[in-house]
Amino acid sequence: MIDARDLVKRYGPLRALDGLTLTVEPGELVGLVGPNGAGKSTLIKILATLVQPDAGTAAIDGFDVVGAAGRVRALVGYMPDVPGLYQDMRVRELLEFFADAFRLRGPRRPAAVDGALTRAGLADRAETFVEALSLGLKQRLFIAKTLLHGPRLLLLDEPATGLDPLARIELRRLLRALNGEGITMLISSHILADLEDICSRVTFIAGGRLAGESAAPAASAAPGSLTCEIEVLGDATRAGTLLRERAGVRVVERTGDRIAVEVTGGAEDAAALLRDLVAAGCAVVRFDPRGGLEERYRRAFGGTPR
Amino acid sequence: MNPMIRKEVRQRMRERRAWLLPTLYLLVLGAVVIVFYMTATARRGAFEVAVQGSVLGQGIFLAVVYAQLSLLLLVAPVFSAGALTIEKEQRTLAGLLTSLLTPADIWWGKLAAALLYQALLLASGLPVLALTLAFGGVGPREIAIALASTAVVMASVSAAGLYFSCFFRRSVHATSVTYAFIVALTVVPLVAYTMLTATVARNPSEPAWLLYSMAPNPFYALSVGLFGAAERVGPWLASLAFFGVLFVTAAALSVRNIARGGEHA
Repeated sequence: MIDARDLVKRYGPLRALDGLTLTVEPGELVGLVGPNGAGKSTLIKILATLVQPDAGTAAIDGFDVVGAAGRVRALVGYMPDVPGLYQDMRVRELLEFFADAFRLRGPRRPAAVDGALTRAGLADRAETFVEALSLGLKQRLFIAKTLLHGPRLLLLDEPATGLDPLARIELRRLLRALNGEGITMLISSHILADLEDICSRVTFIAGGRLAGESAAPAASAAPGSLTCEIEVLGDATRAGTLLRERAGVRVVERTGDRIAVEVTGGAEDAAALLRDLVAAGCAVVRFDPRGGLEERYRRAFGGTPR
Repeated sequence: MNPMIRKEVRQRMRERRAWLLPTLYLLVLGAVVIVFYMTATARRGAFEVAVQGSVLGQGIFLAVVYAQLSLLLLVAPVFSAGALTIEKEQRTLAGLLTSLLTPADIWWGKLAAALLYQALLLASGLPVLALTLAFGGVGPREIAIALASTAVVMASVSAAGLYFSCFFRRSVHATSVTYAFIVALTVVPLVAYTMLTATVARNPSEPAWLLYSMAPNPFYALSVGLFGAAERVGPWLASLAFFGVLFVTAAALSVRNIARGGEHA
């Protein structure tokens, strides 16, 4: 679905993309992570035909993003990091405008608008002005608008920014459902837990280049290794000693009362480890077996924020 | 119909200024007529000379068309120079650029909406202009020429404002530069004409080409075709041609800029 090769994009002396290559197969839900300025938004903008690369090629379903931009736009739904909506339009008017902008004609137009209103749960607010909607509802409206023309690829740049936890859960559910319908997705996000929850693959990007890949983070709980982050109350020395001496456990990192370990054997061994720690009198206040992506991110980009 | 035009007109007519501006516009035009009429008829009393109806009609007509153009030049940047920058400021430009609308569709939608509003103002001023018919000296020909000249000037100035709107990221910058551009169009030809006239003052008659130096002045474009002799047709057409070229250039640059505008979206 996405075939980007050796993409280069410069902004003055800055190389936002420096020979990036990325392939996404149809039906995949791929997460894009990296520090600020890594080139994630630039990559998504190139794929959405907003920005032209200085070198390299990118194609969506075989259509070049520069040479066949119109064909690409018909296939792609793009959601920017700050989704802008016309605040002085009614919800239905806004959807009708974009239906026209995507040249939906005849019975397709009202069907698409009504379908989008229903999908976004905004059917009863169709005549409400956009400015009167909450942030969560605006996000839903923007997604509905993005899906209006039936795109086969969704490019989402920080879709969960500013959403409250409930809205984030709802967003994850929606994205999973859309992916289940066969829509391919590339999602850039700093919220690793969200990506870990829904993505089939996560790509790390730094300095405009691919910095690594992590296949199926959600599935990393399966046999192999599982990274767990443990936090204990008070003195962590006892817990540290127990963990070091335990077979099948490797201490990856220790910072104060937080210990990151890699447990071979998967979720069952992790559960046994937690049971033994508690039985040994360690006051475990957090045992997070899904810190895998965070750990990989830390390994890829270092522990300090950029 | 271009969906941009429908959207723009709908949004524009929802603004408070949509009805406020025509009201103010008509009040100012009405005031111009009253002040001019009072002044002209008061002069008659002082010198005991009857003012010919046709002279009064032509005077009021000129005052109204000048006032009309001044008001439109004041209003045009508000709509045209903010047209694209508002999309950048509200972060809605990306939505347009990733739709199937072409850069030309977006440009035309924005320009047409700005021009339609100015046409509404022009149309609302027609009854005031038609008042002058009652005095004589002004016929439908003059009204048609004045309206055509005003329309050409406003289309070009709006196209230029729209170009600045494509170029800048902030409405305040685009609007300021558009006003500066209008002032330059008005003042520079006037200064050039004055200097050239002074240079060739020794000549017994003013060379015809001197008039062409005033071609870029919007007020000259409006008035040179009115009540004029045959020799003024050339400068009038030259003026309209100048604004035509300005329109086409601004349009081409704007469409190119919109096509490349994704980096600021």
